[in-house]
Amino acid sequence: MKFWEIGKRNLKEIYRNPVLLGFLLGMPLAFMLVFCAAFGGGQASPIAMSIVDEDRSQTSSAFIQYLGSIEAIELNEPIYSEKSQAQEDLEDGRISFYLFIPSGFEEAKQAQQTVNLELAYKEADPMIGLQVKPIIEAVGFEFLGVAPPLNVELKGTESKIKNEVVNFYAPGIAVFGLMILISTAAEIIAGDREKGFLARMFTTPARPSDFILGYSLPFIPVLIVSTLIYLGVGMGLGLTVVGNLGHAFLIFFLIGLCSIGIGMIVGSLVKSESQAGVSWIFIVPIAMISGTWFSTEGMPSAVKSVAGALPFIHAIDGSRAVINGSSLSAIMPDLYWLVGWAVVLFAVGIVLFRRTMVS
Amino acid sequence: MNGVQTFKLTKRFNGLVAVNGVDLEIKKGELFSLLGPNGAGKTTTIRMLCCLLKPTEGTASVLGYDVVKTPFKVKTLIGVSPQDTILSERLNCWENLALIGKVHGLSSNEVKERSKELLETMGLMERSKDQVRKFSGGMKRRLSIAMALVSDPQVLFLDEPTLGLDPQARRTIWEYIAELKGKKTILLTTHYMEEADFLSERIGIIDEGRVVALGTSQELKTNLLEMRSMVVSTENLTAEVMEDLRNKYSRLEKVKGRLKISHKDLDFKEIVDYLHSRGVTVYSAALEQPTLEDVFIQITGKRLRD
Repeated sequence: MKFWEIGKRNLKEIYRNPVLLGFLLGMPLAFMLVFCAAFGGGQASPIAMSIVDEDRSQTSSAFIQYLGSIEAIELNEPIYSEKSQAQEDLEDGRISFYLFIPSGFEEAKQAQQTVNLELAYKEADPMIGLQVKPIIEAVGFEFLGVAPPLNVELKGTESKIKNEVVNFYAPGIAVFGLMILISTAAEIIAGDREKGFLARMFTTPARPSDFILGYSLPFIPVLIVSTLIYLGVGMGLGLTVVGNLGHAFLIFFLIGLCSIGIGMIVGSLVKSESQAGVSWIFIVPIAMISGTWFSTEGMPSAVKSVAGALPFIHAIDGSRAVINGSSLSAIMPDLYWLVGWAVVLFAVGIVLFRRTMVS
Repeated sequence: MNGVQTFKLTKRFNGLVAVNGVDLEIKKGELFSLLGPNGAGKTTTIRMLCCLLKPTEGTASVLGYDVVKTPFKVKTLIGVSPQDTILSERLNCWENLALIGKVHGLSSNEVKERSKELLETMGLMERSKDQVRKFSGGMKRRLSIAMALVSDPQVLFLDEPTLGLDPQARRTIWEYIAELKGKKTILLTTHYMEEADFLSERIGIIDEGRVVALGTSQELKTNLLEMRSMVVSTENLTAEVMEDLRNKYSRLEKVKGRLKISHKDLDFKEIVDYLHSRGVTVYSAALEQPTLEDVFIQITGKRLRD
């Protein structure tokens, strides 16, 4: 059990290094907290809205009062009576946008004519317009009874998922977080080679497989703890696991093994710790095209083909599916990819290590 | 059977010859030193003997096992202390020793016993449970040698075992290595003359990848050293006298304010008489015993530097 002795040494080296341990376990926590809290966790803060009431009628006052009762909106005080004043504040950056209620608003409503409202915002901040316009349209329709130009009939299916955003992001972030193991494993091996420790160990009767297993072993607890952190924090922030949690764990475990395997290969090829750090240049783009942060649906077919040949997209798609309720048999192709990649990566790692042992 | 034997051992790196057809025979139980300046090919030779580098040409054997054909077997027989003190910095002494011992197949009890003995011998027992990153250079070097010995190897490779150590730490390690004489085959590389002189049964002088001289320290000094030297303390030594001496004798050096004259068949009396005749006051004059450095300079034309 020579690999066990090498593994124990590596385990101690990692766990007695608080900086490295903090990075390995702290990164997943930070990722999950930031992404899920920013994009899905908790209630969104209301949008601060300024209003110019040129009409100054009972109807316009009632409309403003109605707007103020909407949870998603917080009205700025005071209500402007002059558009020029609001425009000046907008240009000076004191407000981000304003809703202009023109004179004739009440008359138009009573005459059941088209009611014109104006939403003024800075072009540099187009998201405001995109976020607020649908709210105004919905509120306007409800208050004024004005029909929108397009009537879309929605046929929703009742979902068990509490927060779609968290359920989308959490598996992707978990896989991205486990990709950290690529650079960490590579850096540890490259560092040992740079310092000469590997050369010293190569003078002992240990075989390449002892080294590959010995260097992989300490990352298994890291992988398990990281996955538990991802799932635990994700669930705390609203991740709904509809399917089997064990199946999700299996997928994360397999992609973690793939990441460790890639790290072993990178570590065998590079000559120094700093060279191993270059693996980040590949990690981030691969994470992007694998659907960590965005759906891969709209991507060009060539990019999708590249992503499809790598294990990460299979881990992300597979884990999203099982978390959202799919059975293991439904994601079997993804599972085959992951197992296949893990086996190939470790086999290649052993071959490369054998080559590294004698130069 | 020899402990270590090389057969036209050669290593080239991109056309640069690091080791050039080295033939060595180190007897079983012999302590042999390879002496040479930095870049002479000492470490490359050791790396080939430890199966870390594949020879470009030739081969070598350790206790009869070929380093190219049976590297795994060779690794079971050797212990290596590399030039740089390479340890697991966040492990303590016991853990570092256990790592090497157990990879060599020793049981936990065997490792414990060997480690205890080595830690006591090396004077490391008191700090044995501290992480070694807190150790001084000398302590790390001693642990590195202990790691090479923990598996009780039959052949020991010590690459510059006292490099960068203070004289006291160096002396401690020398004493321990000297105790191993006759018990193990030891190949030691060094560029410290006094180390090779003190420890070795035989010395090979290596320069530019070739073994240029081989023998015991005494053999090297007497057989190869053609020149004799004398050191003279003088006053009123003029440039004119110096010039005359330079023309007459092979080598003339000023060493710590004294004059060192080297020449084949040097005549002590003739020099002292000559200096007196030229009005030079001679305070003292003595013949100097040749050193390995003199041998080295004579053979290679170079001076070894610490």
